[in-house]
Amino acid sequence: MTCRSIEPLLKRLGLAALLALAATACAGADKPEFTAAELSRIAAHGPWPLPWMADPGNRVSGNASAIRLGYALFFEPRLSANRRVACASCHDPARGFQDGRTVARGLVTGTRNTPGLLNVRHQRWFGWDGGHDNLWSASLRPILDPREMGGKASRVARVLRSKSTLDCHYAGAFGKRPDAGDPELLVNVAKAIAAWQETRGSPATPFDEFRDALQRGDAQTAAAYPAAAQRGLRIFVGRGQCATCHAGPLFSNGEFGDIGMPFFIKPNGVDPGRQGGIKRLLANPYNLLGAYNDDATRNNATGTKFLRPEHRNFGEFKVPSLRNLTLTAPYMHNGSLATLREVVRHYSELDEDRLHADGERILKPLHLSEEESSDLVAFLESLSPAAPLPAPVVPPIVAACR
Amino acid sequence: MVGWRWRALRTYISASRAGNGDCWRGVLAASILGLSAAVHAACPPDAADGTVVRKGDLLLAYRLASGAGRLPMAQHFALEVQLCDKDGVSAARLHKADATMPEHRHGMNYRPAITPLSGGRFRVEGMMLHMAGHWQLSFEVLAGKENLRLSHDVQVD
Repeated sequence: MTCRSIEPLLKRLGLAALLALAATACAGADKPEFTAAELSRIAAHGPWPLPWMADPGNRVSGNASAIRLGYALFFEPRLSANRRVACASCHDPARGFQDGRTVARGLVTGTRNTPGLLNVRHQRWFGWDGGHDNLWSASLRPILDPREMGGKASRVARVLRSKSTLDCHYAGAFGKRPDAGDPELLVNVAKAIAAWQETRGSPATPFDEFRDALQRGDAQTAAAYPAAAQRGLRIFVGRGQCATCHAGPLFSNGEFGDIGMPFFIKPNGVDPGRQGGIKRLLANPYNLLGAYNDDATRNNATGTKFLRPEHRNFGEFKVPSLRNLTLTAPYMHNGSLATLREVVRHYSELDEDRLHADGERILKPLHLSEEESSDLVAFLESLSPAAPLPAPVVPPIVAACR
Repeated sequence: MVGWRWRALRTYISASRAGNGDCWRGVLAASILGLSAAVHAACPPDAADGTVVRKGDLLLAYRLASGAGRLPMAQHFALEVQLCDKDGVSAARLHKADATMPEHRHGMNYRPAITPLSGGRFRVEGMMLHMAGHWQLSFEVLAGKENLRLSHDVQVD
């Protein structure tokens, strides 16, 4: 082949390359150029996943017998008074361990939305009001609560003794047989259930891939992140000030806030939120200041030890993690917002009169355009895994119990 | 450097020169010196004592007890505080430490506790700056009958 013969081909290739470049430029025109400050804020939302660390307050955290026992008990409806309600009845693994309902439904219908459990090991406070400072205490409450499972120690002991694998794994984890008269029975069961929940994490998301690509200067991978999500991210870390509270890799600072959501409960009640949570926490014998905390140093009890109750706690609810949102609708402590678009609208049209007089003063209506709202929704959706999560792997039966 | 440090240093040097007879005094003095170096209580404070805030003759230096450089966001931390005045270690007492977000009009969700240490030093536990943004750290110091308030602005990201 001569040079003359390939000249038309080169011209065509050159034109094609120019067209491709132009197309890339056009596609990139609506993607934001992040400033150094924005890049720093974006980087602070990773890396993901966070490293797993055993819970020092739970001596069976990471213990294979406890994890297997906790898995079995999580799905065990016989723990409940009517033998039909299990932890998994509200915490459905296929929905990010949420139930898709507005408010939880155990033995009776509750007043709050079921929180998801993915990445629960990394939380500081548990429940919308932070009424628990550790996962095992938070796991015990619904088992005993007459509105949720209505369980009791004798029923729990009976269930444990009904199957040799349950009995054996309990003995393997705690060094003794389950006994209804043992004051540690319930808390041990809760610690086993916590040990299993601690293993539930969520994988990297499209946002994480984008964030990591920016970190290593990989423009090609970064370019795969949708333009709408990038624009939404810029609102999130910038003018929206969302990252002020929804901070870090979990997209939550782990604390509480009043965002103007109604706290009235039909017919005539109110949900005091964090104010009630602090009262319950400090009265709870299973808090980290109590005898059941397995961390002898009590270094894990700092949050509870130094808590400062304030008037503004009334009507405050936990700042939820924003990971896995597409799995965990509806939203807010009362499940009153069905979609992410409604959540964004709430902040866009925020009614400042609903905020506490002595509450947060950074919340202002964002007045987002329709396109900006769509961008923010696109970003929030990118905080969920791109593919459906597989069913949890069943923890193996330990050798001694086979 | 404060007086007792000088005394310990002189004891260590003279014991070293004297030989075995004063060995244990030397070991003790060396231990005291080593301990003081570990906690680094210096007046006037230097860079190793962290951020220095001044009010009149009073100097307050604070740093993270963990030794980390930046105040963390949404994590509990403890501070080591050193009080100095023009004579060296101050006899004043730190009796309150707190932090607020002036623009947000709220403070921390936690009430810190102060433990006095030796040599004008104090340990503040239970601090947490739970939001990104501008915080104002405040320290109240009782110097004689006078209550002094020192503050320092920090940006937390």
